[in-house]
Amino acid sequence: MTSCGMTKPPLTDDDIKRLAQQAGIDLPAEFMPELIEAYGHVRQMVERLSTPRPRGDEPAHVFVASAFKPAKE
Amino acid sequence: MSELTFLTIAEASSRIAGHELSPVELTEACLSRIAALDSQLDSFVTLTAERARAEAKAAEAAIMASGPRSRLHGIPYCLKDIFDTAGIRTTAMSKLLADNVPTRDSHCQEKLAAAGSVLLGKNATWEFAHGGPSWDVLFPPARNPWDRTCSPAGSSSGSAAAVAAGFAPATLGSDTGGSIRGPAAACGIAGLKPTYGLVSRRGVLPNCFSQDHAGPLAWTTEDVAILLQAIAGHDPEDPGSADVAIPDYSAALTGSIKGLVIGVPTAWLEKEAPPSPATMAAFEAALAVFRGLGASVRPVTLPSIEQFDDVKKTIAISELFTIHAADLRKRPELFGASLRYRIIAGGLVRAEDYIQAMRLRTDLARSLQAVLSTVDVLMLPTAEPAGKLEPVPHSSLFTRPSLTAAFNVGGNPALSVCSGFDARGLPFSLQIVGRLFDEATVLRAGDAYEKATPWRDRRPVF
Repeated sequence: MTSCGMTKPPLTDDDIKRLAQQAGIDLPAEFMPELIEAYGHVRQMVERLSTPRPRGDEPAHVFVASAFKPAKE
Repeated sequence: MSELTFLTIAEASSRIAGHELSPVELTEACLSRIAALDSQLDSFVTLTAERARAEAKAAEAAIMASGPRSRLHGIPYCLKDIFDTAGIRTTAMSKLLADNVPTRDSHCQEKLAAAGSVLLGKNATWEFAHGGPSWDVLFPPARNPWDRTCSPAGSSSGSAAAVAAGFAPATLGSDTGGSIRGPAAACGIAGLKPTYGLVSRRGVLPNCFSQDHAGPLAWTTEDVAILLQAIAGHDPEDPGSADVAIPDYSAALTGSIKGLVIGVPTAWLEKEAPPSPATMAAFEAALAVFRGLGASVRPVTLPSIEQFDDVKKTIAISELFTIHAADLRKRPELFGASLRYRIIAGGLVRAEDYIQAMRLRTDLARSLQAVLSTVDVLMLPTAEPAGKLEPVPHSSLFTRPSLTAAFNVGGNPALSVCSGFDARGLPFSLQIVGRLFDEATVLRAGDAYEKATPWRDRRPVF
């Protein structure tokens, strides 16, 4: 289920090949079935993550300036 | 000869300090055992025998002149083959790095060298600490010394196998979702994933920047504490490194855990990812030991394993793809099939999905710390006893719930110790999870448990 409560239509193999092309992944044909199968698992995960969130919700990787302060400063 | 190789770090260190044992003698014993038996385990991919002999000789001379400079002075160790070692091949088991010879040591290697330790060599891993077990990469996978037909788990496979086999008393591994704790569990030793940032990742080939942890594996928790003391501390060259005070971890091992409050994530173990009856029986028996030592046990509720796993894997696959994108696009055939399958789809994860995963990570990490504010530690099994060493579906990474990855998401310290043996003689494991930067309590609990049980008296025979 998506965040809107609508089930996204399943992607076809050609859809996934198109996504791969857009991402600059031009795999030899022998490896494409791996990508198609693996992406099925990944898509399920990311769909479960796509719940609406308040604008101010912070991700866990915000920039920490002190980590880049030169040692001698 | 082999009796020496079964000494713990603490025992060997004490004998070296008392001039009862020479680092040269200890190193030769380790090298002899490796030469005689590692063809059965494939736990080493590179042996540095001559360098080890030279380092041992230098350590012996220094100790005779002015005493040991640390508890690791003259102690042999090995490193997972993703830690950079200047002048020594560092391959990550990958054909892509078959000829990779770093020019600079990793931070951890620098620390161990400064402590006067003796490097024996580099250990087998899963390809780039992620894809495996694999038979289509640079070296064969390591095998489990308790049963050579079984897996030592991954990805710090060779490291854990080498310690359990008595090839080395000390080693370092890395843990992005359980890669120190899983092999430690499968091989019946102690392995600690420290708090994120406590040990520098500089010079460790990355799996997933935001969830990678370097840490120690050894036969006992006491030895893990000694190793952690040497490698913990701020490193300005690692942007994730924490600038915190480092306590005396060995001093924390008081043997007393009276009053310790243990939380057990019952929903995980009863509903979401129930372990086998035998593993649960071993876990209940371990909790009974802790109760007998004066601890109390209470149920706690954590966010779902599925949420932790979704966050862990979405973040990891995105970072993994980015790390390997150029090679995946240009020469995908050089990757092992397992690793390629497990990272290639990361190229299709949108930035929005990655950020959403990072936002949920914030929630999950906060929830985990909130639960840990009500108890001193969490306990749960680390994993099932070792399975057969055989090809597994590459998709298992996505489909198998993990009892370890949540603590990579939260960044908390997590220790695996041996908690008995199953009917086949393979080790059970107990995972002890602590508050952020409270390794001292985790180690104290693990050490007290080991000293109250007979499990450290049994070694694999092969």
